[in-house]
Amino acid sequence: MHRSHFRLVLGVLVAVTSLIVAGAAGGASKKSTAGSMTFGAEQEPPCLNGFTGGCNNTWTSWTAGIALASPLIVKPDFSIKPYMGTAKVVSKKPFTVLVTLSKKAKWSDGKQVSADDLIFTWQTIVDPKFDIAGRSGWDSISRAVKVNAKAVKFIYKTPYAPYKVQFATSVLPKHALEGLDFNTVWDTNYNNKAGQTMSSGPFKLQSYTKGQSIVMVRNSSFFGKRPTLDKITFLFRTNTDTEIQAIRGGEVDAIYPQPQLQLAQLRGQSGLRVQTHAGTTIEHIDINTGAGNSTPLLGQAWFRQAIAYSLDRSGMIKQLFSTLNPGLPTLNNLSYVTGQKGIYVSHFAKYQISNKAKRLAKVAAIMKAHNCTKGGDGIYSCGGEKASVRLGTTSGNKLRELAVEIMQAQAKDAGIEFRADSQPSRLFFPRISTNKYDLALFAWVGTGDPAGQVDIYGCADDKTADNPNGYGGSNWKGYCKAGVTNALKASDAALNPKTRINLVNKADAIMANDVPTIPLYQKPTYFVFKTSLKGLVDNPTLQGPTWNTEAWKAG
Amino acid sequence: MVTYIIRRLLYSIPVLFAASVLIFFSVTAVGDPLAALKQNPLFSKQTIHNIQERKHLNDPLTTQYGYWIKDAVTNKFGTPLLQPGTKIWDDLKRVIPHTLQLVLLAEILALLVGVAIGVYSAIRQYSIFDYAATTFSFLGFAMPVFWLALMLQILFTNIFIKWHVRIFYTSGLSSTDPGGGIHFWIDRLQHLAIPAMTLMLLSIAQYSRFMRASMLEVVNSDYVRTARAKGLPERTVTLKHALRNALIPVVTVSALNFGALIGGAVITESIFQLDGMGPYFLGALFNQDAYVVMAWLMVTATAVVAFNLIADVLYGYIDPRIRFD
Repeated sequence: MHRSHFRLVLGVLVAVTSLIVAGAAGGASKKSTAGSMTFGAEQEPPCLNGFTGGCNNTWTSWTAGIALASPLIVKPDFSIKPYMGTAKVVSKKPFTVLVTLSKKAKWSDGKQVSADDLIFTWQTIVDPKFDIAGRSGWDSISRAVKVNAKAVKFIYKTPYAPYKVQFATSVLPKHALEGLDFNTVWDTNYNNKAGQTMSSGPFKLQSYTKGQSIVMVRNSSFFGKRPTLDKITFLFRTNTDTEIQAIRGGEVDAIYPQPQLQLAQLRGQSGLRVQTHAGTTIEHIDINTGAGNSTPLLGQAWFRQAIAYSLDRSGMIKQLFSTLNPGLPTLNNLSYVTGQKGIYVSHFAKYQISNKAKRLAKVAAIMKAHNCTKGGDGIYSCGGEKASVRLGTTSGNKLRELAVEIMQAQAKDAGIEFRADSQPSRLFFPRISTNKYDLALFAWVGTGDPAGQVDIYGCADDKTADNPNGYGGSNWKGYCKAGVTNALKASDAALNPKTRINLVNKADAIMANDVPTIPLYQKPTYFVFKTSLKGLVDNPTLQGPTWNTEAWKAG
Repeated sequence: MVTYIIRRLLYSIPVLFAASVLIFFSVTAVGDPLAALKQNPLFSKQTIHNIQERKHLNDPLTTQYGYWIKDAVTNKFGTPLLQPGTKIWDDLKRVIPHTLQLVLLAEILALLVGVAIGVYSAIRQYSIFDYAATTFSFLGFAMPVFWLALMLQILFTNIFIKWHVRIFYTSGLSSTDPGGGIHFWIDRLQHLAIPAMTLMLLSIAQYSRFMRASMLEVVNSDYVRTARAKGLPERTVTLKHALRNALIPVVTVSALNFGALIGGAVITESIFQLDGMGPYFLGALFNQDAYVVMAWLMVTATAVVAFNLIADVLYGYIDPRIRFD
């Protein structure tokens, strides 16, 4: 071999060997040590101040947001329990909630989490100059009275039943933020004015490397049980295939991906555990009953019922989730989810007829009763109106596109045509919100609490020139029923939990007859992690997978 | 030469301006950037109003464009649509070096290998090596980048699962604790290796074909025959006389490639989760953030113009017959 060729080959061999040696050593060091773990985050927070519209993202609160504790916490069973404090109604007139913080609650800079912080949090959220994502409940408070250093009474303008959800919101440190522009502060850190990172939760932010990672380290000032892990590193792995290969290859220890077919390859891989639940994101079909639809048939309850009967929702769910989540239930309530035992009532179950012949017979009976006749193409016509409607969803979402195809076939068998009408979300949602659709498949991201349902199903609330019927802000269905509106409005002010549940279910029962919306299923959650990790428990509510990081242990 | 460069730079101003107008109006014409927020019942109307006011979204598009140009010139592209605390320029400063690392690694290696394959194929025309290289090139052209990327990810993941040896990482730019100095760069190399391989394969295919064709043309030219007739060794004839002239088309292609890739090897960077220009652009597009898209475009367009200029200047050095007026 020529000497220069020999040198070249030798150089390449040395480079490859050193990479393998470095890699092998690196591989070993990347395994979870006793005190740390890496979490593949499916989305990167746009910025860290999750209170503001621009940063409001579930992954903001599931990653860096664990530094900011809240008085109450939503548990995996949807119950809301005390966490850094308590919240209880102390007066019904005027409606007053007493929030008391734990005496042990303090910030990582040594200052107490105080009544002043609670009041500051309320004042910041309702300040109109700040881009706060949601103000529900906070804008119903008329004043706050400091009871002592750790307790505040919030007095409301009107009773606010979902006050517990409201106080599952993080508390802000007044001494760190007062006088600063809340729209721009805490964009990339949670620092106080002295540059110290602020935390009241089990972990505090050590570093945020945009585009790459968020590193959280144990907060020794945490009010609760001392966290076991020293460090949690959230690596942004926003590509589905990459995320899956990353956990397969041990580059991350846990992931919390959206439902997708590729997840099937993780089931059965040794060393990995998959937890799955029905979450609080409600996939449903909204029906435009009024102006903007393409056929007056949609304004008739009997026709909407026929559509509901024509669909085998359970069959569709089996087809969509048979490998990933074979036990995913059909959703039969618009306000409560299946995990809410003793609350959830299956009002829409009557439309689920799994036997195809019976299902088609039921639709045929309804159509016949309304003098509809089948044309040569097998589609009904009723009074000259063809039973043909548009069904749209957000194109690009494979599960939804598949759902549309399945439902098109089911409806066609029953003599109703669903014309495909999907568009990218940026075009789809503006159409929906301006009532230019027939049937729209999309999701509401809920909390398990029915607060604000009047906005989606109510009317006669806010009549303006632009909105002469006064439909609720998110009621794009042209649906207006006094019984529903009144029951949902009353539920938002009902303080007795049983009364509230009854009111919500009363509205739901009416809607199950009117069918302005067809509930489909709760989007399942998937929590995949190494079996060597202990204490990880999926929380299908908005509280998310990192709700109990203090209990996590690395094997 | 200097006059030529200045003239070319002046030409690029209207080009960049036209590009910015086109992109702004295309992006903003797609739809309401706040549509998704407006359909979220949990989102406060006051907040949407604040954003509309801050970004002048209720003004005519021409006025909005005017505000953007002002921001771009006086405030380094300003802030994104929804994050008033974030500076677009800070984000660009972060992602550009990451893209450069990947592109330089992939393109330099691809040039070295591609040129070598092309030259050897030309001087050994119709040999087994030549046929093999041709087959490889067409395979490289035909292979979808996303598929190749995924296959490489699966391959190296399976190697780790089977032998517990981490040669390369399948995603990200760095490990959680990469260390400093040489350890940091070895770790970075382990992260960039698979994405670079993905980019390289296509580029090697391209460069080797160009090089082979160009070399075949040159080796049969008179001056190469003259060099041989003078009794120069074949190695000198090939490397000093033929190669230099045959490089011109490859220089053009590689300069265009460099310029385009500065805009981000969008698919590769996204699949391998590299925090570069590609994912930054995709994120902005997904969020309909015209402000970020515009800034990205200006940087990319500038890079394309700059690399075209560099290519033109390089011609002068490679081919002494070329003179700049």
